[in-house]
Amino acid sequence: MSKLNRDGLRESIDAVLKHSTDKKRKFTESVELQISLKNYDPQKDKRFAGTVKLRHTPKPKMKVCILGDQVHCDQAKANDIPHMSADDLKKLNKDKKLVKKLAKKYDAFLASESLIKTIPRLLGPGLAKAGKFPSPIGHNEAIVGKVDDVRATIKFQMKKVLCISTCVGHVNMTADELYSNITMSINFLVSLLKKNWQNVRALYIKSTMGPVQRIF
Amino acid sequence: MSSGNKLPNNLPQLQNLIKRDAGSYKDEFLKQWRHYQSSLQLYKLTPGQYTKTVDELTTFLAQVAHCYPEELKDYPQQLRDVLQASATVLDPTMRMTFVKALIMLRNKGLIEATTVLELFFKLFRCQDKLLRKTIFSYIVSDIKNVNAKHKNIKLNTTLQNFMYTMLRDNNPIAAKMSLDVMIDLYRRNIWHDAKTVNVIVTACFSKVTKILVAALKFFLGKEEEAVDSDSEDEAPKKSAKELMLAHRVGKKTKKRQKKLDRALQVVKKHKKKKKTETFNFSALHLIHDPQDFSEKLLRQLETTNERFEVKLLMMDLISRLVGIHQLFLLNFYPFLKRFLQPHQREVTKLLLYAAQASHELVPPDALEEILLAIANNFITERNSSEVMAVGLNAVREICARCPLAIGEDLLRDLVQYKSHRDKAVIMAARSLIQVYRHSNPELLHKKDRGKPTEATKEHRSLAYGEKATRDFIPGADILLKAEEQTQEQEEWESCSEEEEDYDDDSEGWIDVHHSSDEEQEKEVTPEEAEDRKRRAQEVSVSRILTQEDFKLMQQQQLAKEAGLKQTARKRKRQPDTREESGELPNLGDIENVHKKRAHDRDSRLATVLAGREGRGKFTGGPQKMNPHASTTNKQKQKNKVFGMVKHNMRRKEKRSFRDKQLALRNALLKRKKKK
Repeated sequence: MSKLNRDGLRESIDAVLKHSTDKKRKFTESVELQISLKNYDPQKDKRFAGTVKLRHTPKPKMKVCILGDQVHCDQAKANDIPHMSADDLKKLNKDKKLVKKLAKKYDAFLASESLIKTIPRLLGPGLAKAGKFPSPIGHNEAIVGKVDDVRATIKFQMKKVLCISTCVGHVNMTADELYSNITMSINFLVSLLKKNWQNVRALYIKSTMGPVQRIF
Repeated sequence: MSSGNKLPNNLPQLQNLIKRDAGSYKDEFLKQWRHYQSSLQLYKLTPGQYTKTVDELTTFLAQVAHCYPEELKDYPQQLRDVLQASATVLDPTMRMTFVKALIMLRNKGLIEATTVLELFFKLFRCQDKLLRKTIFSYIVSDIKNVNAKHKNIKLNTTLQNFMYTMLRDNNPIAAKMSLDVMIDLYRRNIWHDAKTVNVIVTACFSKVTKILVAALKFFLGKEEEAVDSDSEDEAPKKSAKELMLAHRVGKKTKKRQKKLDRALQVVKKHKKKKKTETFNFSALHLIHDPQDFSEKLLRQLETTNERFEVKLLMMDLISRLVGIHQLFLLNFYPFLKRFLQPHQREVTKLLLYAAQASHELVPPDALEEILLAIANNFITERNSSEVMAVGLNAVREICARCPLAIGEDLLRDLVQYKSHRDKAVIMAARSLIQVYRHSNPELLHKKDRGKPTEATKEHRSLAYGEKATRDFIPGADILLKAEEQTQEQEEWESCSEEEEDYDDDSEGWIDVHHSSDEEQEKEVTPEEAEDRKRRAQEVSVSRILTQEDFKLMQQQQLAKEAGLKQTARKRKRQPDTREESGELPNLGDIENVHKKRAHDRDSRLATVLAGREGRGKFTGGPQKMNPHASTTNKQKQKNKVFGMVKHNMRRKEKRSFRDKQLALRNALLKRKKKK
């Protein structure tokens, strides 16, 4: 049985929220889930990475750019979403600095299915290096819905250390919304691990400026 | 007082006396110190010569340095100056003496690590193999000792920076030695950080082949090489409890008590040590900018005219980088394609590199040309069956990493070889089918897709760049169902208590749908699937799943694949073995083209061993029915001391064949005479 129970989690969420209201910052603090692992040999065990869509959008202000063909560009223009066409991309001329600038400017990218295969050749490795390789978008999908999907999606990826942290919400959410998001992400992460809970050393939640709350 | 007069000439004796009582022999020491000063001045004029007095006095002073730290304040500096000024021209014996004196001073903690180590790195330039070896082992052990308790970051950074300059030293031997030091320290988990790795990265572009190869091999290193076999890391043989027990029996002497204390201390120390887990991220993961590194390596590879083996190493490293970090290195594939011919030397390795360099983000057209080259050059009827099987295996390895690389037509052509006359080819083709059954069954012919199961129905193949994003945890719906069931069971239990044990049994089981008995349920309608998804979502946001829940879900997921399992019952399934092997493909998987004998040595041995099981040891004669029954005198005799039964044995000794022969002859003669 895990040490993590419903009430404990609710208490820590309340503590995080209380701290953010006590000392109001000039921006919306985000709430972050931090995980440290154990019994995991990075050389032998398979590296895990996964993406999961949360019910309540954790990062509503995320900037998404559409790299699209004519149809998608028109749709994006109609919905006031930043967009670039293939010609715009060609203008970058594979210049590393310009591609890096582009990658920095946005948080995520979407590309039309017809275009996405050419992106490595058009832009070089810049986007993948920043971890922002676009996701595909088809013609029969609603562009706004897809952008919202991207905003609601979080990524777990282990890098050079045995700790992972991801944004799972922000302090303007209600405690219930945060609870469901955190539960979902914990469940998903633990399902990725080979030995499930036996691989988890500790779990923390914290807001950007607040203190950490250990929940496991 | 005769011994006192001899002291000036007898340095070892003086050394001994000083170490016992430094204060009273100060005058003698000062005399020697002045003597040393003057002879050193003389020696500096002719550094190439061996001078006995300086040699002996240097060792002597180093030995007693800790007794007179005030007087010998500038002694280390003098040694350093001599070595620094004329290291290469010094007499080898004298040089070794100076170095050893410095090592001794350093071990006594009289000088700083940085100054000595930097000097030693410069000494790698000397043409003296023994000296270099001594210095090498000393540097490694000293850095290890400095970092033993906790990392001395300041020292490490200065030394690492220094080594960075040493690698570009124009003396190749010095550069190679300092590279060796770094690699050794990395292997011993002492300098186990990104900085070391990135300094070694620069060595991959060395003009000197030896340095280049050493650096490349470091990155390609196998795991077993990295294992540190230090004697002190060995676990103590007995636990604390066992030690205490062993002490309880027997006489309690001071010596035994001391022994016990020491052993307990070792156990305690080891326990503490074990707590810090070290995580071995392989060196490849610690590289700062893998993209840039791989691009540079490729450029070097294209222009270099090193031997083929070195080129192979470079290709191996590039392909690993590309595979592990998911890089885009589109020029690498056409380069690799040139080598993909059946008669190429080490072609299986090259095929392996092609597989290593493929990952799901590579544009499919880049990999398709490689696959076409393999298909055209290897998988044709004019080649021998081994070549075809190797080609098919390589295709499988590439496609397992990048399922989109192959087109429908090519895949269907290759899969046709499942009815080839040769077993190896058949197996390779089947394994390719197996890979696509999991990743993208739509590309296969309908008859090759295998029996449809629940798992295949839920499966959806990913488009290029798409990530498998879910908003629920697969299989979580079963938990809701299980909860309902337990509730029902509880209700039942309240009604009738007799069914208790039946309920316990049923808990571990999950219902697997059979296509025959419930035809209408087998057809999973879209609404039902939707409903299931919704329920899974509900569960995964509402509560934290426990270990038992995960176990249940895994069982459920496995049960869904049940249909697939039936076809592949005999062999271990391919995808599973690959997942276990980690992030890189094995050469063995590609070279696996040899038929296995039906009953080979291993399986024969296995049957023999199985037959022996439960047979017990060899015993003379039949065993007693009752092991507690009394023993015969004959058996008792076996346990007695030999001296007790010796006379007994002799009496009952059997006659030899010769004696019996003689006795028989005599007896026969006697009988004849009687007649």
